Amino acid sequence: MASTSRLDALPRVMCPNHPDAILVEDYRAGDMICPECGLVVGNRVIDVGSEWRTFSNDNATKDPSRVGDSQNPLLSDGDLSTMIGKGTGAASFDEFGNSKYQNRRTMSSSDRAMMNAFKEITTMADRINLLRNIVDRTNNLFKQVYEQKSLKGRANDAIASACLYIACRQEGVPRTFKEICAVSRISKKEIGRFFKLILKALETSVDLITTGDFMSRFCSNLCLPKQAQMAATHIAHKVVGLDLVPERSLISVVAAAIYMASQASAEKRTQKEIGDIAGVADVTIRQSYRLIYPRAPDLFPTDFKFDTPVDKLPQL
Amino acid sequence: MDQNNSLPPYAQGLASPQGAMTPGIPIFSPMMPYGTGLTPQPIQNTNSLSLLEEQQRQQQQQAQQQAQQQQQQQQQQQAVAAVQQSTSQQAAPGASGQTPQLFHSQTLTTAPLPGTTPLYPSPVTPMTPITPATPASESSGIVPQLQNIVSTVNLGCKLDLKTIALRARNAEYNPKRFAAVIMRIREPRTTALIFSSGKMVCTGAKSEEQSRLAARKYARVVQKLGFPAKFLDFKIQNMVGSCDVKFPIRLEGLVLTHQQFSSYEPELFPGLIYRMIKPRIVLLIFVSGKVVLTGAKVRAEIYEAFENIYPILKGFRKTT
Repeated sequence: MASTSRLDALPRVMCPNHPDAILVEDYRAGDMICPECGLVVGNRVIDVGSEWRTFSNDNATKDPSRVGDSQNPLLSDGDLSTMIGKGTGAASFDEFGNSKYQNRRTMSSSDRAMMNAFKEITTMADRINLLRNIVDRTNNLFKQVYEQKSLKGRANDAIASACLYIACRQEGVPRTFKEICAVSRISKKEIGRFFKLILKALETSVDLITTGDFMSRFCSNLCLPKQAQMAATHIAHKVVGLDLVPERSLISVVAAAIYMASQASAEKRTQKEIGDIAGVADVTIRQSYRLIYPRAPDLFPTDFKFDTPVDKLPQL
Repeated sequence: MDQNNSLPPYAQGLASPQGAMTPGIPIFSPMMPYGTGLTPQPIQNTNSLSLLEEQQRQQQQQAQQQAQQQQQQQQQQQAVAAVQQSTSQQAAPGASGQTPQLFHSQTLTTAPLPGTTPLYPSPVTPMTPITPATPASESSGIVPQLQNIVSTVNLGCKLDLKTIALRARNAEYNPKRFAAVIMRIREPRTTALIFSSGKMVCTGAKSEEQSRLAARKYARVVQKLGFPAKFLDFKIQNMVGSCDVKFPIRLEGLVLTHQQFSSYEPELFPGLIYRMIKPRIVLLIFVSGKVVLTGAKVRAEIYEAFENIYPILKGFRKTT
């Protein structure tokens, strides 16, 4: 019958006799009623809920909603412009069948590029199944960069890809440059360049990557059992702690650790498979593996069940 | 003052009074206070491109500098601090290893007198908040070696690149790829880009004098081909130096503490890029301990930057 709405934040309407009472909203009459004394506080309050519900399987042209999409004030400066819809009567068409009033296009010309970029960001994020919070953060970063105008005129796609990379890093779930490359048309070099430019323009910095950030993703992509994944995490952590591979990138260390763990467990993976998932060349995995192989017994966790014992690990 | 008498007459106006630290003619030395111009100022207007004159001029400068150095040696003998002595022993072998190739001076090949400071004033490290503070007593015994000098000069006349490319030896010209003639000479081993406007870029030299000499050689080649080439506005644009601190460095620690200056992305580049504000130098620091310094216009900037970074790197030495 009546829907409750939280009005605590709004200081405007409250019952004068019972300031703490949460007002009950009667949507049929548009009234706010105090539940304690029954006083009608607000009268004919306009309901801001949506008028119609639209489902995705409905015919797109049949959308009867007269107010358009929900407002996105954080990003698009509050899109308050209106459009004239397609005509339905006979008078709206001229003799050739074209509609007379055609101005449906120019909505928010100043933010057109930004809206385009948001669409691109959403597309890229969908490809690697990124969460909504990362996409929101990316959109925010892009808006900041766009408003600053220091990188104006540069390819928006490159800025968008770099913002996506930074957002993933800031949320604590970094993606490698190669992973972002895979969903974007921009090359790794360009993304790297724009990454540095944006960090400078926004005057922020990001934390260093660690090996543990990538373990769960790579291991589940390889369908490794949980034990192998934990072993690989432990190996990578020990390798970095003992600094056995100082000059190699962390991703190569991760890949070599996964190789060692998978070879020691029942689910063995080849270097090529790991290289494909991690974006590392298999010679690189070989090089890093050679460096950690001598210390193999120390690297495994103590409670690891070896399917292949340590001395039988492949020596490359 | 016999110092004044040894100077040639045209430099009388530049001669400094006795005991002054800043010489009238710039002494070329590693730890000069930043700002004493090190590119040799042409005292006489040498616009003729004769190499013999150039070498004579260089030797004249060296002779003057030798006289200046001897003078300073005597003066600084009194002003030596005990602290300086310990560092001078370290720095002098490094410096004398460095300077002979420039001065060809005989006095430096003999061992420096014990107890004298080397031939330069005390290292002045500016204690600004932006520069990492350096204790005045410590100094690394390492001197960065210059690897590359990029300089530009204006030959002052329009050139026809096609004739230059056809008639000169060791010249390549591919107008579809790049709009300049690329010429190389063997001694000093350098490469020059010669543009049709008459401007020239000379790269690959290992010292300022070599860069100037090479630029003059290129200008001479162009002159011999029939163009009225001059030698205007020779300027060194960039100097690159490198050295080795001989211990491994913890780059992760360095990027954590010096976040506003450093950028370390192991996925993009294996070295840490440190942008020092004063002097404005970019340093590439690697895990192995090798350091590359670039972006300097004068040699002293490279030395100063290295002296600034060395104590920081020592703090991030890898202990294992």
